Amino acid sequence: MNEFYEKLAEILEVDEVHDDDIITDFDQWDSLSALSVIAMFDSDYGITISAEELVNHKTVGALNSFLNNNLK
Amino acid sequence: MNLKFQNKRISGILTVLPSKEMAFEDNIHNYNFLPQQSLKLKKVMGYDKHRVFEDNVCTSDVCVYGLEYLFDKNLLKKDDIDALLLLTQSPDYLMPPTSSVIQGRLGLKQDMLCMDIMQGCASFEVGLITAFSLLEQDAIKKVVLLNADILSKKVSKRDRNSYPLIGDAASVTIIEKEPDGQAIYANIKMDGTNCNALMIPAGGLRMPSTAETAVLAEDENGNFRALDHLVMKGDAVFNFVQTEVPPMIESLMAFAGFDIELVDYFMFHQPNKFMLQKLADKMKVPREKMPCNIVENFGNASGVTVPTAITFNLGEQLIDNSYMMCLAGFGVGLTWSSILMRVGNLDFCKMIDYL
Repeated sequence: MNEFYEKLAEILEVDEVHDDDIITDFDQWDSLSALSVIAMFDSDYGITISAEELVNHKTVGALNSFLNNNLK
Repeated sequence: MNLKFQNKRISGILTVLPSKEMAFEDNIHNYNFLPQQSLKLKKVMGYDKHRVFEDNVCTSDVCVYGLEYLFDKNLLKKDDIDALLLLTQSPDYLMPPTSSVIQGRLGLKQDMLCMDIMQGCASFEVGLITAFSLLEQDAIKKVVLLNADILSKKVSKRDRNSYPLIGDAASVTIIEKEPDGQAIYANIKMDGTNCNALMIPAGGLRMPSTAETAVLAEDENGNFRALDHLVMKGDAVFNFVQTEVPPMIESLMAFAGFDIELVDYFMFHQPNKFMLQKLADKMKVPREKMPCNIVENFGNASGVTVPTAITFNLGEQLIDNSYMMCLAGFGVGLTWSSILMRVGNLDFCKMIDYL
């Protein structure tokens, strides 16, 4: 797993996450985990993402692509 | 916008807090979440205790209480008050101004200016900037700045997004002329296009309060609130703070020609511990220079968190010492503002409970 997946798995309290996992289907998904992911994007990658954008990406894989497309 | 002031000082700060303290756990049964989920929220966001006023207490009551305390202790003379500024989002009435109510209740002189200004999270900075501007007048020698908010009544007890962190409080700050004072640097920005990020939708003229606006409805995150209640877009506010505040402080230091490492304390508005620590890290400011213990002890009483952070963390130390402080507020409006000034050698700096 790459670093981003590890961080995501830690926030969602699972052992690992996969590209086709639906973000909102995780048991630990709530407004707090959403904020934790938003904060991780900001502090670790310097990328601003809204809660709406986050949910609209639907899967872990799509979120990873969004991250890679926005990395400077 | 950059602003510069000369020859002004803060000469005293008093914070008035509710005596009624609630624990996070006291309200956990109201939330539509499993207890372990809510306890995780408590841990991550740094929630613990918070203080709210009893239902019958209004803004003017708390301000009158604080001012009478200062009169009784001979820390302030009634006739010396040339301007009374009240910054609040929870006025006693839609009209008249609550500052006029306070003037009347205390029997203050007529030859003065009373003014209400509606500001929230940045209300301490906006109040200071206004006070400094008024002190440019010969006739105005002493300004009393009141920051007061009693928003607990406007937050749904079933809103886990806002209720755990809400606090009520008021502060009285005295600002006066100081012939030998150092320059004071400030900046302020506004973005009304995002004014719905923090709002109370009903209760004004746009949407008067009715039986319908009092009905609780569930949002997509499982929180229940009515249109009469405060609603906060947590993610938008978080991103706004992390995006706008660090460059604002950088710009303030550049304007003042001051090295950020020489700032003794960053007394910032405290939305919650999580957001403030992320901010400190992003600004590369040592966390010990930016106290973030107000929300866990008292709750977030919008702009009053800044004077509360000063009185709680430094208190009487500020009687004999002075420190370079960077003050900042950010939120409702949206408004964001910061001030670089020396604060200290105060006549008083303390907190009292409203009894």
